[in-house]
Amino acid sequence: MRFAAKLLIEPNKRPFTIMLAVVIVIALMDQGEGYFFSLGTVFSVMQLFATFGLVALGLGLSMLVREFDLSVAGIVGLAGCIAVMTGVSNPWLGVLFGVGAGVVSGVIQGLIMTRLHLSSVGVTLGGLLTLQGLTYVLTENKTISYPNMAVALGLNAPIGGLVSVRSVAALAVFVIAALAMTYTHIGRDIIATGSDRRASRVAGLKTDRVIISVFAASGASAALAGVLLSYSLGAASPVALADVLPTAAAASIVGGVSVVGGRGSPLGIAAGVLTLCILRSGLSAIGIEPHVHDLVTGAILLAIAVLDAPELVQRATAWRLDRAERKA
Amino acid sequence: MPILAVDGVTKRFGPNEVLKNVSLSLGAQEIRAICGENGAGKSTLVKIITGVHAADGGTVLVDGTPTEITDPQHAQELGIALVAQELSLAPALSVFDNIWLGNREVPLFHRRKELRERARAALEKVGLEELPLEAPVSRLSIGRRQLVELARMLTRDARVFILDEPTATLSDVEIERIFAALRALKDEGKSVIYITHRLGEVFQICDSVSVLRNGELVGTRRTAEIDRAQLMEMMLGRSLREMYPRYDSRPGQPMLEVRDLWVPPVVQNFNLTAQRGMVICLAGQVGSGATEVLRALAGLAFDSTGEVGIAGQPVQLRSVMRAQRAKMQFISEDRAGEGVFLRLNVGQNLVATRLGDHSRLGILARRGLRATAAKLAAAVGVDRARLRSQADELSGGNQQKVAFGRVIGGDEPGVLLMNEPTRGVDVGARADIYRLIRQFCDRGYCLVMASSDIEEVLGMADVIVSMYRGRQVATYQRGEADLHRVLADITHPVAAA
Amino acid sequence: MSELLPRARFRLRGARARHVVLAVRIVAGGAIAAFALSTPGFTSPLSINALLNAISLIGCVAIGMTFITLTGNIMSLCLGATVSASALIFLASLSFGVFPAFLIAILFGVVITAVQGFLVGSIRANPILVSIAGLSLLIGGAALITGGQRIYPSGEGLQMFKGRVAGVPIEALYFFATVVIGQLVLSCTRIGREMVMAGSNLRAATAAGIGTTRAITCAYVIAGACSAVSGVLLAARYGSGDMELGAGYDYTAIAAVLVGGTSIQGGSGSALRTLVGVSVIAIIEVVLLLRGFSQQLQYLITGIIVLLVIMLHTIGERH
Repeated sequence: MRFAAKLLIEPNKRPFTIMLAVVIVIALMDQGEGYFFSLGTVFSVMQLFATFGLVALGLGLSMLVREFDLSVAGIVGLAGCIAVMTGVSNPWLGVLFGVGAGVVSGVIQGLIMTRLHLSSVGVTLGGLLTLQGLTYVLTENKTISYPNMAVALGLNAPIGGLVSVRSVAALAVFVIAALAMTYTHIGRDIIATGSDRRASRVAGLKTDRVIISVFAASGASAALAGVLLSYSLGAASPVALADVLPTAAAASIVGGVSVVGGRGSPLGIAAGVLTLCILRSGLSAIGIEPHVHDLVTGAILLAIAVLDAPELVQRATAWRLDRAERKA
Repeated sequence: MPILAVDGVTKRFGPNEVLKNVSLSLGAQEIRAICGENGAGKSTLVKIITGVHAADGGTVLVDGTPTEITDPQHAQELGIALVAQELSLAPALSVFDNIWLGNREVPLFHRRKELRERARAALEKVGLEELPLEAPVSRLSIGRRQLVELARMLTRDARVFILDEPTATLSDVEIERIFAALRALKDEGKSVIYITHRLGEVFQICDSVSVLRNGELVGTRRTAEIDRAQLMEMMLGRSLREMYPRYDSRPGQPMLEVRDLWVPPVVQNFNLTAQRGMVICLAGQVGSGATEVLRALAGLAFDSTGEVGIAGQPVQLRSVMRAQRAKMQFISEDRAGEGVFLRLNVGQNLVATRLGDHSRLGILARRGLRATAAKLAAAVGVDRARLRSQADELSGGNQQKVAFGRVIGGDEPGVLLMNEPTRGVDVGARADIYRLIRQFCDRGYCLVMASSDIEEVLGMADVIVSMYRGRQVATYQRGEADLHRVLADITHPVAAA
Repeated sequence: MSELLPRARFRLRGARARHVVLAVRIVAGGAIAAFALSTPGFTSPLSINALLNAISLIGCVAIGMTFITLTGNIMSLCLGATVSASALIFLASLSFGVFPAFLIAILFGVVITAVQGFLVGSIRANPILVSIAGLSLLIGGAALITGGQRIYPSGEGLQMFKGRVAGVPIEALYFFATVVIGQLVLSCTRIGREMVMAGSNLRAATAAGIGTTRAITCAYVIAGACSAVSGVLLAARYGSGDMELGAGYDYTAIAAVLVGGTSIQGGSGSALRTLVGVSVIAIIEVVLLLRGFSQQLQYLITGIIVLLVIMLHTIGERH
């Protein structure tokens, strides 16, 4: 029992524990009917993962350095549109321009934040609105179709019934991110900047560079998500993924990323995304209505919010002692 | 040849001449203390040496060669390493990662065996052999963290270590470890500049001491050749007595009674009685429990237990609001973090705790508040013209006065709890604050203060309670104890109570 | 505190910084006003009407968001959903009469945010996380109860919340009332001052014995009430409701708060500033419309201007 509690409370292990718990609970609810543990379910989970995973990775990276990149929602749409418009003959060109736009947007916002000492909420909010505006201008408020059907179908074709090119690409990005964070000093620098920026700067770390790089990466990651999504839908629309922000944030937080920075990892974020995707696909696979997914997600997030609350122990102890004294 | 020297250095900030023609030189294997009151120019001198400021006049010499130190990075390359009071370690990272954090020469794949060996070697030199490289820094005590920071400097081939008030937040065991590390560094051929207010430590660990006063170098002496009183005289330029107001304390009615106070994890079984008009000083270093007792009485310690009574009425702990209702007020040592509302103006700061007195049905009576603010400002000597300026524009001393103003001025004098009342405050303001303390005690307040500055304790206290590791060692009335007695109590008491 | 560490270079300090920022704000405000007034048709009743409509609904939520930001809790991603849910509750309760339905909707909004505020205020749970949890729970809860159907009014009485009074749209009156009440709370009440102190320096507020839990919870309660008012007005305007009504309001609301000059770090700002922020954004949109910019360009230019104004405000502040 203690062991289980430790797995839940310890933030590094928690995302995997939660994911496992969700799988077990849904499997139990399935009662052996076989709807949950089927290839179809896994495939739909992985397709969702491909859509949300990279956005969550981008947002999660910005949270690691104690910032919050609201603009990921905007870059998803913009990159998708750019890719669809430029990638008709050569899809790789679209990828290049789309991801490039993500990098540029991240770098510009990072520069504004570091040079002018501004907080990320304001800058990325402005960035979000600007990016959405740019998307509208580029598409002239219409849905643009992507005629290259081969690419669209190819991206979503099931491989072995489990994954598709899109989900493999997303997984690959996560693996690369995880390797980079562990085996190079990039991971150390990011965690240091998030955990104590002033101290890191004094120690000689160029925290400005770290922040700009993180926002470039977050822009690139969200852009790639947008590009792949637009290609696979065969169209790009200005209003892609309007509610992506809370989902991405929820995935990162369930994945162990701390909103105040300094804690989290790409693998944890992947687990968080998977958890939410499993909840969504798994529950509908066994016939439960989609709003249960929202309720369960909300409950999990609330539990994490309370467990991670800095003054939980203090209040509880003070209350306990007050009660004891009143009785005496 | 001296490793580091400054010759005729002058520095001006606007119309103020902060350093006037200062010259000193540091040899190899020398531990030099730099002492001086707040505002004497120590930090400006260090900033020039570490490349933060450029001197307006004079030269800095490294290994005998005049050098212009352009920025902190350059200073590090020259082998000058600063360990500031706020450590520059990232708590979420391991010891190994922190040692190499920010180091330019670290390659992309950063966990090479060679780097681990060098980190291990550096840790050994500072006495941390048994510390695992992967230990998270967040789990280390402050003393250990400082040693990790020293180890980091070693991996950057530092030759001159500048330590700014290194022991202010350390327990005695950790202080010993730092001293051992410094002696080891000295044997290795390094030099140390040791900035401190703690004169005892100057004689314990340093070979020599340079004293700054009002921007000028008063002199450099070998510690073997002077004594504490002479050092104090050099620092203050006047005798000790003029700082602390003369008075005759007449103890009034019993005011505060503390029984069986426990503050986990430090304070055990603390007891105290105090009368109106008295200044009680809890003397002790960091970790002695003096600060913890005050914060518990103030209601800021969520797990403290004990019996507290004010003027006969019992007061429950663990709540600031309950303490305030019982007229027990707290002034923190951390002004910026816990004392002053930087974005609000001085007037709003002063009346922060008085809102209840001036509101009816939740609506504020602004005129009454303004009048009270003016009254409080006058009482503590803050210029009325300042009432509308933002608090972050004030000096440290004025901010401390505002903090003072906030807690006095109720109709009934109560208990004031002050933690390190003059930390970071310059000489002039210190004398003002001591005077204010006496004034309010004369009016009937009872003041309990915690201080690690023995001179301050001896100068101000009617009753001294010395503390060590969470326990009371001894209680002295005024005149019963001298410096050595109290110092012995708080560093290594013969018989802990 | 160590005095020895180098300070960042680009930073204005103290009184001079404040004068510069004030000057910049006046110039910017003047530029926008000039731009607006020189636009043909801006002062026509039609355009003023459009302006007031644009301001009122989002403005109520923005006032509520201001309180959350002022107490140092950055923003809430849940207010838009609170708007929608309150609208649903209002429509469903109309059978009890219009005034009770209004009260029930307000009560609902207040309870939803009070719980969040209590968690944030008492145990310092992360405000963004709590708001995302609330968002999920609201969406899930609403879908559970309504089954995804649109809700139609169950009674009469919507007239109280739509139409015009003396030529002014009634929504605008409710909005201005919200602004006035909000500003009065902030400047003239004790709890309002305590909210500002909690946002300025929470540790200092605690050490000074200020009831920070109470102050923060109250701020959230006000935010919930404001969102509920907006929900009721929306329900009245459209005559039916679903959870899409308030979607996206959170971002516009926080943009209005920041454009108005309230600091994202808390402790500095006011309802009047948010009124300015909401107005600036709406004026820019209307002016662009009148000048014939396409809808796409409107979005883009508004976005860029929001970014610039936010940058302008924060230049004089410490980070």
